[in-house]
Amino acid sequence: MEEKQIIAIEVEDKPGVLSRISTLFSRRGFNIDSLTVGHTHKEGISRFTIVVKGDEKTLEQIRKQSQKLIHVLTTESLKKEQAVMREFAIVKLKYDEKSSLKINELVDLYGARMLDSTNEVLIVEFSGTEDKINLVFNDLKQFSVLESLRTGKIGMHIGQ
Amino acid sequence: MSEKESEKNPEISGARALVKVLELEGVDTIFGYPGGANLPILDELRKSTIRHVLPRHEQGGAHMADGYARVAGKTGVCLATSGPGATNLVTGLANAMLDSVPLIAITGQISRSLIGTDAFQEVDCINITMPVTKHNELVFSSQKLVEALKTAFYLANTGRKGPVLLDIPIDILEETYAHDLEISVELKGYNPTIVGNVGQVKRALKILDKAERPLVLFGGGIVSAGAVNVFNQFIRETNIPVVRTLMGTGVVDDNDPLYLGMIGTHGHHHANQAIQKEADVVFVVGTRLGNRALVKNQLFAKNAKIIHLDIDPAQIGKNIETNIPIVGDIKVVLEDMLTRISKKPIRKESAWTGSERKRTKLSTRDGASVMEIIFTQLSSIDLQIHISTDVGRHQMWANHFCTNPKHLPLITSGGLGTMGFGLPAAIGAWFADPQTPVISISGDGSFMMNMQEFVVAVENEIPLTVLIINDHRLSMIRELQRSDFGGRFVSHELGSSVDYVALAKAMGGSGSRITHKEQIVPTIVKSIKSKRPTIIDCDLEKIIKSSHLTIDSVAS
Repeated sequence: MEEKQIIAIEVEDKPGVLSRISTLFSRRGFNIDSLTVGHTHKEGISRFTIVVKGDEKTLEQIRKQSQKLIHVLTTESLKKEQAVMREFAIVKLKYDEKSSLKINELVDLYGARMLDSTNEVLIVEFSGTEDKINLVFNDLKQFSVLESLRTGKIGMHIGQ
Repeated sequence: MSEKESEKNPEISGARALVKVLELEGVDTIFGYPGGANLPILDELRKSTIRHVLPRHEQGGAHMADGYARVAGKTGVCLATSGPGATNLVTGLANAMLDSVPLIAITGQISRSLIGTDAFQEVDCINITMPVTKHNELVFSSQKLVEALKTAFYLANTGRKGPVLLDIPIDILEETYAHDLEISVELKGYNPTIVGNVGQVKRALKILDKAERPLVLFGGGIVSAGAVNVFNQFIRETNIPVVRTLMGTGVVDDNDPLYLGMIGTHGHHHANQAIQKEADVVFVVGTRLGNRALVKNQLFAKNAKIIHLDIDPAQIGKNIETNIPIVGDIKVVLEDMLTRISKKPIRKESAWTGSERKRTKLSTRDGASVMEIIFTQLSSIDLQIHISTDVGRHQMWANHFCTNPKHLPLITSGGLGTMGFGLPAAIGAWFADPQTPVISISGDGSFMMNMQEFVVAVENEIPLTVLIINDHRLSMIRELQRSDFGGRFVSHELGSSVDYVALAKAMGGSGSRITHKEQIVPTIVKSIKSKRPTIIDCDLEKIIKSSHLTIDSVAS
């Protein structure tokens, strides 16, 4: 299995920034595994968390090429051991009397939240590390999953 | 009305503001092709001090701006309309991108309200040109126009130079607004490093001092940084031998005892030996170490420690592992190094390289070695000339044998290798330096690609000489088909049906032929002195026959 590296890119929120980042990655032959982007507490500044396939040398080249883009402010490679990583999942489940007990156990076990319950259909929200969400999805196989959705990762280094 | 209000900027059209900003930025020439979406700009240019040159194809205009920029040391500006005008610029932009040439391309775009509706002459210019520009922007409000223009000028000619494109909807060009021409530009995310890290500079000098077989490899970055003089000072002081990449012409004199030659796929034997096997320290300055220079990554300087000085941090360590990276402006860093060396000299007393010099690696099949005669003769002409080449076999031979410092640096498409670059680039070069005649060395294949621009030379009375190295075929292709495709020649013959002399006259210029080697210098000099745009058909096979040379002569 190929190595995965994580890069955090802070950008000025200008039109087309997402397009620029993905075009850059594509033309340099960098493989994007997942990508998230969203606002930060700083006005006009957004943050990308991108997971790429490749080794450290590749990541360093990616980081340097991204830094060249005019609206990119900072770039940082995230080391898993020194970072907090999170992703989300929401899952729509069909439930009945038999399964509802087990579902409740699961929700307690994973610290999940019930977002909605309508006509025997539940929507549950999970959050955590990639490994935890993988476990969740594995455990959900025994239930009747109607829809599901995982986000990409977001993360940041611990400490300053 | 308050004082502030009365000092408000006058309401002017976007087109007027644009032309005013160009003037303020010191633009004196613009290479532009009109179309529906950019006519407001052309209208304003009528009353401007800026000279407007009309190419015959937008690609020609882009290459003209490129050639202009290389000679003027200023940003070249080209203009096209929306749709096909914009797409016709792509090759020119990619060319400027790969050779790091400062260029601004302005494209008209359809009205904002029509964008995304597949309107007449609409293309998504921004996404099409994104990978081939240093930066591009679709100006979406009048408020942003001046800022976008000033940002473009700032970006094009700083750091690692390159092409910037601005896509401007026609309704912004037409509508009036109180444009602030004095607006200042702030780019939080762009801060090129100028001064090299002191620690790295010291380390570099230290290992150069200790080196037994040091070598300097330089490229086009020296010219781009305006560092030719300081670089020559540096090698004089240190007495370290040098080699160059294709783009490093006009930096070191060909006769300099320290100059070993050109490295790479089409380089010199001795230079390649020195860098691949013999050197123990290689100081790489102002080159991105492209694959043609490296040949094979694993072969490159494998026994040496590598110092890499470049303004673009992404080039350092991209293709080759570097021991000492130095990010900074070459001129500034070399000046710093010279200061340090003056206090603590580094000087290699004996040249570790042998006296064997510059044996060429170029194939001499199919009459190629006649080009050595042609370009050596050309180099003997003692006149200041700007020379451009096109792409192919002639380009490599010109690179080796055009050695007269009055003719260098060569204006050549190194990174993209664009056939059709030479003629418009030579024209652009003349607009940058109208006192100096220009020569476009071209192959018969390359010439055909943008030959329409010859008309621009005629109507502007440019002392342009197009020297067509006519071998009636695409010779580089032939060489590749011979070496890599077992001699299965296909689609490379161009035939002899074109009469270039008649063609020149048909376009309003002069034409002549060279069929004997004694005619080379007189014909070229005559063309230069006539100051008329001239096409010279230099027929290789006829020269070989009349000189009683063999087809496969050995070059030096």
